Amino acid sequence: MSFTRALMENLRVKLGAMDPLPPPPPLPEVPFPPSRVFPTPRRRSAYAEAAARHTTALVGIGHVGTRYATDVVLQFQAELAVAHAAVGTELPEDWAEKNGLLPLHSRVTSHRQFLLRPDLGRRLDEASLARLNEKARKGVDIQPILADGLSAVACMGAGLALLAHFTRECEARGWSVGTPMCARYARVWLEDEVGQTVNAKVAAILLGERPGLGTGDGLSAYLVYRPRIGCSDGDRNMMSNIHARGAPPEQAARRLAVLAGAMLDQKTSGVPLNLAGLDLGDAGGGGYRAPEPRVRLVYAGDAQDKNTKERA
Amino acid sequence: MILDRIVPRILSVRRLPGADPALLTAYGADPARHFALGLVTVDQDDSTYVALDEATKHAPVDVVFAKSFYAGSSHASGALSGEILGVIAGADMADVDAGLQALIRCLEHDACFYTANDAGTITVFPHVIASLGRYLSAQAGLQVGDPMAYLVAPPMEHTIGLDAALKAASVRAAKIFPPPTETNFAAAWLSGDLPECQAAAEAYAAAVVDVGRKAWDIDR
Repeated sequence: MSFTRALMENLRVKLGAMDPLPPPPPLPEVPFPPSRVFPTPRRRSAYAEAAARHTTALVGIGHVGTRYATDVVLQFQAELAVAHAAVGTELPEDWAEKNGLLPLHSRVTSHRQFLLRPDLGRRLDEASLARLNEKARKGVDIQPILADGLSAVACMGAGLALLAHFTRECEARGWSVGTPMCARYARVWLEDEVGQTVNAKVAAILLGERPGLGTGDGLSAYLVYRPRIGCSDGDRNMMSNIHARGAPPEQAARRLAVLAGAMLDQKTSGVPLNLAGLDLGDAGGGGYRAPEPRVRLVYAGDAQDKNTKERA
Repeated sequence: MILDRIVPRILSVRRLPGADPALLTAYGADPARHFALGLVTVDQDDSTYVALDEATKHAPVDVVFAKSFYAGSSHASGALSGEILGVIAGADMADVDAGLQALIRCLEHDACFYTANDAGTITVFPHVIASLGRYLSAQAGLQVGDPMAYLVAPPMEHTIGLDAALKAASVRAAKIFPPPTETNFAAAWLSGDLPECQAAAEAYAAAVVDVGRKAWDIDR
């Protein structure tokens, strides 16, 4: 519409080349992003706080967005690594002999086969059977069997102590205890064949339990009355978590002896066994058990400092 | 910012449907032809001269009175005085109303002063009229419909700018108003083809801006 206005617009552009631009307006101060956005401040509930003190399970660990916090993941990986290492460890072939135990061997021929064929781990091979018939005491009250199970680490760790304590407890009660022996590549049910062969009243196999997170060194004990091939799990009584952070071997041995005594008295085991009135400590009844502080087997990264601080 | 529009402020618009013949005569109207008057005061005189001329293009009205006030709108006699009183006269009120509408539209959208320095303390009026109306053509001694460059600036800027404009384009000075005018500016009306008038106005504005940037061009 206006000639003059268009003219002046053009002229301004032309002169604008010579016209120094005004200094740009100062930018508003941009705050730096916070150096640590996640995790949001840890506000653990009192329940999680209290519960975490009594278990090595990863409870009350919070979250970062939809994921675990880094220290939790590291802790998880560290504990998983311990479990993997325990599963992968093999009992040395001469370990039993070196420790003065009668060496036995299941029908398993390799570690891989041991993991994949539980049925072979439940039977003795020919040589072991012959050795057992030849060297073991027969007709005993209690036949303890140390075995590697799924954690040779546990067997080599607290195994000897548990065997010694258990033997002492049994002998103190006046029972005859069978030849100390150690089975390699053994599953729980191997105690049936061993106990049947030595004609024991109670067979007790003490073997490394399947490692879980943070427990690569736990032992379990399975007791069966009148062992014979074909016994089922319903015929057995067991005790797990025998390690320094759970039931220490000495305490566990006493409870196992009480359990074995009950079997001898009642002439049965497993489901039919009446546990009432037995002095099994905390493990015996279904009543209140005072929570015990738990300690982790491994600490990852700075979790150790944090945990020790939390506990302090 | 340079060459920014300074939009004129229309301070008052009044109509006189049947003015007294004595008044009509005193303000230069012809009582035989003119019965209605339209009056405006604006704070920019040269924009208003252009707008009054625009009114004559849109309605059968005559510009009977248009005078700038001394020393400009900064020294006005009252809040509504501004810099100029313009009066258009017509045979009836409808004609005057149509003329006033055209005048107001021109002031609001076309004719205006522009800033010539960043502070806005120097102004320039480098206006190009594509087609003259009856008022300015008579004033300038040109034909109705001729293009014209209407150039106004303060005295020093105008003098330099006018020289640049006359040299930049094939234009002829129809009328030169040396300083001071009533408002202490200086002005010139240049005639030529429309592109020549535009080139002249552009050169004029550029020169005014240049003087504003460089008030001295000798070494002290």
